[in-house]
Amino acid sequence: MCFRFLAVVLTVVLAACSSPSTSTSTTASSAPAADASAAPAAAPAGDASGDTIKIGVDLPVSGADASIGIPTQNGAVLAIEEANKNGFAGGKFKLQAALLDDAVQGKHDPAAGAQNVKTFIADSDVLGMIGPFNSNVAKSEIPLTNDAGLVQISPSNTSDGLTVGDAAKALRSSHPDVNAYFRVCTNDSNQGGALAQFARKLKYGKAFIIDDNETYGKGLADSFEAHFTKLGGTALGHEHITANQQDFKALLTKIKSLNPDLIFFGGTTSTGGGLIRRQMGDVGLAKVGYMGGDGISDPEFLSTAGSLADGSYFSVAAPDATRLASAKTFVSAYTARFKSPIGGYSASAYSATEVLIAAIAKAIAADGGKVPTRAEVLANVAATKDFASPIGQIGFDKNGDILSPALTLQEVKAGKVVTVDVITLKS
Amino acid sequence: MTALRNPRWQTFALLVAAIALPLIVRNGAFTNFLTDAGAFVLLALGLNIVVGFAGLLDLGYAAFFAIGSYAYAMLASPQFGIHIPFWVMLFVASAIAAIFGILLGAPTLRLRGDYLAIVTLGFGEIVPQTFLNLAQWTGGPNGIGSLDQPTFFGYRFGFNVTPYYYLMLALIVLAVFLVGNLRDSRLGRSWMAIREDELAAAHMGINTTSAKLAAFALGASFSGLAGVAYGAKLQLVSPDQFQFNVSVAILSMLVLGGMGNIPGVIVGSLVISSLDRFILPQATSFLQNSVHVNVDLTNSRLLIYGAILVLMMLFRPEGLVPSRQRAAELHAGTSDPNAVAQEQELYTEAVS
Amino acid sequence: MDVFLQQVINGLSLGGIYALIALGYTMVYGIIELINFAHGDVYTLGTFFSLAVLTLLGVSGEVHGPALIGIVVLTIAVAMLLCGLTGVIIERLAYRRLRNAPRLAPLITAIGMSFILENIMQYWRGPSPIGFPQVVPNPTFHLGPVEIGAKQLLVIVLAVVMMIVLQLFIFNTKLGKAMRATAQDRDAAQLMGININTTIALTFLIGSALAGAAGFVSGVYYGSTWFFNGFAAGLKAFTAAVLGGIGNLAGAMLGGFLIGLIESLTTQFISDQWSNVVVFSVLVLVLIFRPSGLLGESLPNKV
Repeated sequence: MCFRFLAVVLTVVLAACSSPSTSTSTTASSAPAADASAAPAAAPAGDASGDTIKIGVDLPVSGADASIGIPTQNGAVLAIEEANKNGFAGGKFKLQAALLDDAVQGKHDPAAGAQNVKTFIADSDVLGMIGPFNSNVAKSEIPLTNDAGLVQISPSNTSDGLTVGDAAKALRSSHPDVNAYFRVCTNDSNQGGALAQFARKLKYGKAFIIDDNETYGKGLADSFEAHFTKLGGTALGHEHITANQQDFKALLTKIKSLNPDLIFFGGTTSTGGGLIRRQMGDVGLAKVGYMGGDGISDPEFLSTAGSLADGSYFSVAAPDATRLASAKTFVSAYTARFKSPIGGYSASAYSATEVLIAAIAKAIAADGGKVPTRAEVLANVAATKDFASPIGQIGFDKNGDILSPALTLQEVKAGKVVTVDVITLKS
Repeated sequence: MTALRNPRWQTFALLVAAIALPLIVRNGAFTNFLTDAGAFVLLALGLNIVVGFAGLLDLGYAAFFAIGSYAYAMLASPQFGIHIPFWVMLFVASAIAAIFGILLGAPTLRLRGDYLAIVTLGFGEIVPQTFLNLAQWTGGPNGIGSLDQPTFFGYRFGFNVTPYYYLMLALIVLAVFLVGNLRDSRLGRSWMAIREDELAAAHMGINTTSAKLAAFALGASFSGLAGVAYGAKLQLVSPDQFQFNVSVAILSMLVLGGMGNIPGVIVGSLVISSLDRFILPQATSFLQNSVHVNVDLTNSRLLIYGAILVLMMLFRPEGLVPSRQRAAELHAGTSDPNAVAQEQELYTEAVS
Repeated sequence: MDVFLQQVINGLSLGGIYALIALGYTMVYGIIELINFAHGDVYTLGTFFSLAVLTLLGVSGEVHGPALIGIVVLTIAVAMLLCGLTGVIIERLAYRRLRNAPRLAPLITAIGMSFILENIMQYWRGPSPIGFPQVVPNPTFHLGPVEIGAKQLLVIVLAVVMMIVLQLFIFNTKLGKAMRATAQDRDAAQLMGININTTIALTFLIGSALAGAAGFVSGVYYGSTWFFNGFAAGLKAFTAAVLGGIGNLAGAMLGGFLIGLIESLTTQFISDQWSNVVVFSVLVLVLIFRPSGLLGESLPNKV
């Protein structure tokens, strides 16, 4: 009895995984390409044959992160579709997006991200990947791509420790001399620094800092605190909230007794960014300023914060593409293709994918039309210089950070998000 | 043909198949999946001691998994510069998890079953939150990365998944052997007695408290093993790997496969793992691309776990691969003539 | 001192919501000794139902004057009715068949029902937090050094009123008597001519209806809802029921207020990130040292 069952289960499992990666083709237009992925399961890894080259895309596209993850994924998909349409590598190869979701139960998950990257690594058709969206997911992925030499470009990770310092070294412990991780956005100390400057410019002097106790939120809050005090501001305190917390009245009452003129939140809307703003009104802090990072720059923030959203400030770790002359073509192509406005990171994902595609194309040309190795693609990405993209010129330093990152500062006015400033930083 | 019916041969054949599998299916992603599924088999085997054998509902089992993983992360990583060898840590981490099992179990095991479930649930909430809050030691939300990779007589496991697969397989074989022997031991029989009727068991002279405590500690120690192996493989621990849904996933594996029955538990965990990682994503992409129905089944995990728990408990509480004894017990309350007959059969078996 | 008193107010109003949920837990446990794990999700469903009613009525902001009372009463009534029916359906589908099964069995189906409800709510309104209209204006009243918002007052008053009404119902009506009899000895009650199935269904109806009321109030109080809220809230409400003495209505309310106080005072004097750890530690400690709770009678292991 049990023998039969185990046999059945194994058969089911084997059958279920007969295609080597769970690459989903989300778009109707590239649906035929999906059949090309039905390579025999027994094909030994390392044998890259066939005319399909895959680009792994690992982003959170379900659950609370979907509202920001899907427009980002669309950016990458659009870049791949356009490359195919424009005859990528002389039409000899077809690019295909291998889309995986790193959200588990509605929330981005480092372990799921690591699983997805392992799936990419195991699939020899994948020559590079875009993602992840969240810094804590990147932490679990970088050691894997570093070991496999698979190039990875994130549109939106902002945690400092991913690229510099001892933390980054620890992530690259497998091959300390190789860096396979790149990002096209700024990091949290730049973002926190810019926000701190902005706060001081708005004449805020006494801030209370809250974060959601996640990699991104805590990193941003720490950086804001450090810069804010360096610029002469006073940090009245710094608290971490807990996951799934709904009631912030006790915390806000405690904060109120310290008389701050600004509350800074490091975190996302889904971890409490909107609720805190809304409940500030209930404890008599409606007039106190509220500021956060790119994690609260989504439409959900406006709906959860309600009327209290007005007067909140936040950053986007990417330039506001709708304001950039270089992004005009992209914005109209995107809206035509997906029938929706671009997300905060659509242009970044599109640009990152363009960088990767260009690197693959260059490697194919150098190899005389053969499938390049992952190492060749990686070397070409690392050598990217002054690459013209919708978000501006892209080039990377030796740690994989973008050379002149840009970020946008925004304010909510009468229920609408208004861009206050686009800053290009020199690193 | 007769050899096929012999359970010993069946086990042997399955083992050979399991050893050969990554050599036949040379697909890294598949081996990787099997390795992760293996960690859950280990966890399910451990929880089976507590829930399946002793009948104690533990809803915070992931907490012990966390303790095992964090023990490895703190004692074998650059975090504190301590590098205790992997093989030693297997024992150390299981021992630490077992100690926590005893610490939690000692005062609470005299509680009634459903109270115990809630205490363990509370414990399951406290542990990951505490690891998160003690950021100066645990890395807080970032967790601890770059965990030491095992070496085996000079062979470094590295990042390739295959050695981890065999490691996991070896641990499962060890676990099955241990759990099987435990079940047939004096202790195992007293667990079953407690599960069926605690009061009667106590009157028969069984020290119910120490037997229950042993179940708790042994169950916890298996999740310690799984924690070390999984941590070493993933190279990372972070507090969000150990939430309540992990405890429920493991419980669903037991309920689906058959509480108390070792092959059942293994089947249950393999089915749920493949559901999670292969069947749902594949079915979703099939529906979206071939049938053009825009449904995301991967968003329905909660519904599927929930449905498994409800439907199995209502209609087949003994699981897909039941142990006969447990089936009889679980049907005792309902007026299922089948179960009554089974019970009768069991009774005649016992007296004759 | 002012801050301390202010935090007491915060704690009491937070506790009021826990108390309303805990009443339902305690009633169900009292009668069939089942930890109805899905109860927290019925509470969240209450906010979803309320939101649907408010959307139907076209309410999107503060309402004043007599219309306010009408809208509040109507929304609460619909939410209570629908949640009550949900509770009855859950009992019929998932628990009734297992009434005589080993106790783990219904507990496991209860966890399953909780997951199913969460997923249904996720389908219904999406996975992100949803804003809830600020129906009730929130003028603040000054009581000496502290201030209390109208919404906070609403929560506390509603919890106390519900508890008293329930107490009167259970001890002064025939149906209440039937419930008490069923709780004490199901078989004997049946022999006395009490319809057990109806009585248990009624218990679920009332308990879940209270969760529906709590759902409306919490939506108004926090101004938002989310499909996953029920898990944490349910767990804390259960802690409240245990702390007060499970099966005891006054105990559930006392426990609710205490848990709310513990949470807000932990935030004030230790820090926010430890509040859950402290609450669940209280749960573990109470179960270890006083499993019968503050107002409960000691419960021997049933044979």
